[in-house]
Amino acid sequence: MEEQRLRVKMIVGSMLFMLLVLGVRLAQLQLVDANAYSGETQSIAVREKRVIPARGAIIDRNGRLMVDNEFTYTITITPRFFDESQIGLLAEILGVADSTVENRLAEARAWSSFRPSPSFREVPFEIFSRLQENAHRLPGVWYDEEQKRRYLTSAHATHVLGYTREITRTELERRLNTDYRQGDLIGKSGLEKSYEEILRGDLGSELRLVNVHGLEVGGFRDGTADLHPTSGYDLHLALDSRLQAFAESLFVNKRGAVVALDPNNGEVLAMVSMPDLDPDLFARSMSAAEWQGLTASASTPLFNRATMSMMPPGSTWKPFMALMALQEGLITPDQKVYCAGGHPIGRGIRFKCLGVHGYVDVHTAILKSCNTFFFEMMRRADVNTFQRYANMFGFGLLAPSDIGEQTVGLIPDSAYYNRVYPRGWTVGYSMNLGIGQGDMGVTAMQLARYAGALATGGTVHVPHLVRNLHHPETDSLIVPDLPPPQHVAVDSVYFNIVRDAMHQLMEIGSGLYFRIPGISSAGKTGTAQAPGEQKSHSLFIMFAPFEDPKVAIAVIVENGGGGATQAGPIASLMAEHYLKGRVPDAPGRLWQMNRLVNELSSDDL
Amino acid sequence: MRTWHRNFDIGLLLTWVGLVCVGLVAIYSSTRGGAQEYLLDSVRLNFNRQLIWGVICAIGIGVALLLPVRFYQTIAYPVYGLTLLLLLVALFAGYEVNGARSWLRIGPAQFQVSEFAKIGTLLAVAQLAATRRVGVSPLRHSLYMILLILVPVVLIVLQNDTGTALIYLATIPLLLYWSGLSLSHVLLLLAPGVSGYLTIVYPPAAYVFLALFVVVLLARRRGAVSVGIALLTNGGVIALLTYAIEAVLQPHHVARLMSFTNPEAIEYRYTVGFHLVQSKAAIGSGGLWGKGFMEGTQTQGAYVPEQTTDFVFSVIGEEFGFLGSLVLLLLFGFLLMRLVVIAGHIKHPFGNTFVVGVAAFYMVHIFLNIGMTTGMLPVIGIPLPFISYGGSALITESMMLAIVLNLYMRRDDFSIYGY
Repeated sequence: MEEQRLRVKMIVGSMLFMLLVLGVRLAQLQLVDANAYSGETQSIAVREKRVIPARGAIIDRNGRLMVDNEFTYTITITPRFFDESQIGLLAEILGVADSTVENRLAEARAWSSFRPSPSFREVPFEIFSRLQENAHRLPGVWYDEEQKRRYLTSAHATHVLGYTREITRTELERRLNTDYRQGDLIGKSGLEKSYEEILRGDLGSELRLVNVHGLEVGGFRDGTADLHPTSGYDLHLALDSRLQAFAESLFVNKRGAVVALDPNNGEVLAMVSMPDLDPDLFARSMSAAEWQGLTASASTPLFNRATMSMMPPGSTWKPFMALMALQEGLITPDQKVYCAGGHPIGRGIRFKCLGVHGYVDVHTAILKSCNTFFFEMMRRADVNTFQRYANMFGFGLLAPSDIGEQTVGLIPDSAYYNRVYPRGWTVGYSMNLGIGQGDMGVTAMQLARYAGALATGGTVHVPHLVRNLHHPETDSLIVPDLPPPQHVAVDSVYFNIVRDAMHQLMEIGSGLYFRIPGISSAGKTGTAQAPGEQKSHSLFIMFAPFEDPKVAIAVIVENGGGGATQAGPIASLMAEHYLKGRVPDAPGRLWQMNRLVNELSSDDL
Repeated sequence: MRTWHRNFDIGLLLTWVGLVCVGLVAIYSSTRGGAQEYLLDSVRLNFNRQLIWGVICAIGIGVALLLPVRFYQTIAYPVYGLTLLLLLVALFAGYEVNGARSWLRIGPAQFQVSEFAKIGTLLAVAQLAATRRVGVSPLRHSLYMILLILVPVVLIVLQNDTGTALIYLATIPLLLYWSGLSLSHVLLLLAPGVSGYLTIVYPPAAYVFLALFVVVLLARRRGAVSVGIALLTNGGVIALLTYAIEAVLQPHHVARLMSFTNPEAIEYRYTVGFHLVQSKAAIGSGGLWGKGFMEGTQTQGAYVPEQTTDFVFSVIGEEFGFLGSLVLLLLFGFLLMRLVVIAGHIKHPFGNTFVVGVAAFYMVHIFLNIGMTTGMLPVIGIPLPFISYGGSALITESMMLAIVLNLYMRRDDFSIYGY
């Protein structure tokens, strides 16, 4: 019996030893190495699904919704669960042939029979809702929701809004440590690009349990670990979408740009660059060939002419020259210059005037657009002073604006001439600058800003598209922090002389036949020489009403002829539309519009 | 009126209820979660079927308790004979599951004969102990016992069910030790197993083990014969295994044998190591507290193959964590301890040998199964007693326990002239 008791003890001992071994092993796996395993197991069994928040909407100055989002539906087929007897039903709902469904099913099966395979893209909502109604008869048919931009106004505003596209590989590589992934949309130009981060919002994530076949089989921890997305901010624009649409409609068959600003604060009321594109084209899925066609097109519709295209300002430059000359004492308001149809330098041939104006003062020189006068002013000026004044008006500089794509333009100084003409240059080289020709270039945006400065008597505001950013859910408001306006160091007396001359131009001068009925305004035409045999560019700057300016406009119609033929009427009609809310029916105005839309066009369009 | 019911071990019965419930919980979680629609139909119904088997077992236990001890003694050899016959039938007319031809089909139900054979074998071994003549040396008695066990083992190996056969073999040392074989002899029997294991895991450890073993034998003043046998058997196992791995076995056999040491290796993790990678990941990720009932990502995603049967422990490890696993180990510990204590209380050799045999079977199952699911031992397809899904296994294990309960309850009924 003693022996049996020993055996019981030995056996109990061996059993305890065995349990101890198992316990130690479990402690090693579950306590010591637990972290290593949980990382590994979570990554296999729990799939993080990113939830893309609603991209911020874009709203114009009058609260009109311009851009929001709509869903498109991609129908997926999971072959393992698909009932093949329902091929006919699915084909009928989708409006395709049975064989198409069969083909897609075969493709899906070739990829994976357990995973939902995207089979029909961009299914319209009506078809999608019919599929939902028949969901119980269509096992294995499911959908993916994708966002796409929806454009709600008749204004294209292509270059203001910009567009979104699927992120490219290079962009992805640049944004390695961000939450961008292949297939995400990203703003590629315009506001969509400048405000990408804030429009996009914060991504959410949804954790899905994935089984051994890679199938999502349900939520994880009842969604408690999910992260809800935060939608983006809405952009409230200074843009007037109706004015924008009106300007676009006047610009049919033309190439060029328009910028309309509020001279009192720099808000961009309209910005047109033609030719443009229907932004909806970008929102749809586009084949590579279509895309190539757009980007390689000779008319370069993706190029924002309003801020990127350098143009000689032509005679619209003369008010600037007058201000500089008066302030620098190159001439007094009473002094006159004799115009014999050209400037004596170059024997009246190289520096021609369009007329024989006799003795002209500053006021008359602007009103009659006398070239001789301004050649003389530039002869008396120094190029570096010229650059300093031009910079004060924002020429030759980038505007600190929310408009991403900009060119500085070209405003030369002596260093420029030394560089470009190393064998030496004389005053004759720079005299062309006096009439806005020669080695200089400005953009429509810069001209509009300049028109605004003329309107306000020297205050140069930062042109900007966005008034504020408003979050629809949290109601939080961001007002962009704009740099303060700059002031042009020119005496207001001189400004008044120039403004008065521009006013006269609209009342009794070349602007007479397109003056705004009932509203006094000020403007200056410009006709810039185009290279070679091309028709001249038609330019115009204006502001209105003259007494209390509310709008400043610059129009450039490439190869549109004289400033008064196309650019002037466009600017005038836009100003009227903006100030009155519409263009009232008046015989002269209707004729203007009809002529612009149906008869006039850029030379080679 | 005898007060036999006073001897009834209610604790043991409650342990049985507890273990079966733990099994049902684990099976429920792995087949009734949110993802059940993605499971095969055959697996999805496992909970219901196991519940039915549990009820059948409860009735079976009740019936088994009513029978007198003499009945078991009387039927011992006939049942053993029937067992061998059925094993033979299964071998030739059986139904194959997972490559093992050890299943018989009766009507709609399938039975794994090699499971039921455990009862027959144990009854025969117990009867042998009961009829042992005075003067028969322990070694000779041991030889008979080994023979009794080896006959079904051979048949089961022929059925290609090596794992189950291994279980039978692994119970031999404990049974022999109980029936009087000296500890040294038992160790001589056990040592080759340890040597073989070490050879697979880390060969140098096997040489060290052999050296230590010889030293212990010499220290205990065992004769040259023992040392010789030790050297011969252990050395033989080490040499044979090494040679087999190097030269004889096909690569896929070697992989199956070796993969448990490093299942994560790239050449194993999607093939022979898949079970272990997934099982270890599930158990390890359970941590201290577990992920919660029906919340285990690996379990719900059906990552661990055979998670209702052989790998059911992974469900408990993942969803109930280290603490839950510990509770299960304690339940098993209580069961085993209680059985050994009961064996000590039953004076009749038929009774106590049978009880020790049952304890040995449970212990081997528990150790090999949990050792396998935690990646300590090679994957051999054997269930976890009372927990794994499977009617044949649950009935066999429950009937063993029922007989133990009966023998303990009626321990005073044994004829003192029984042998």
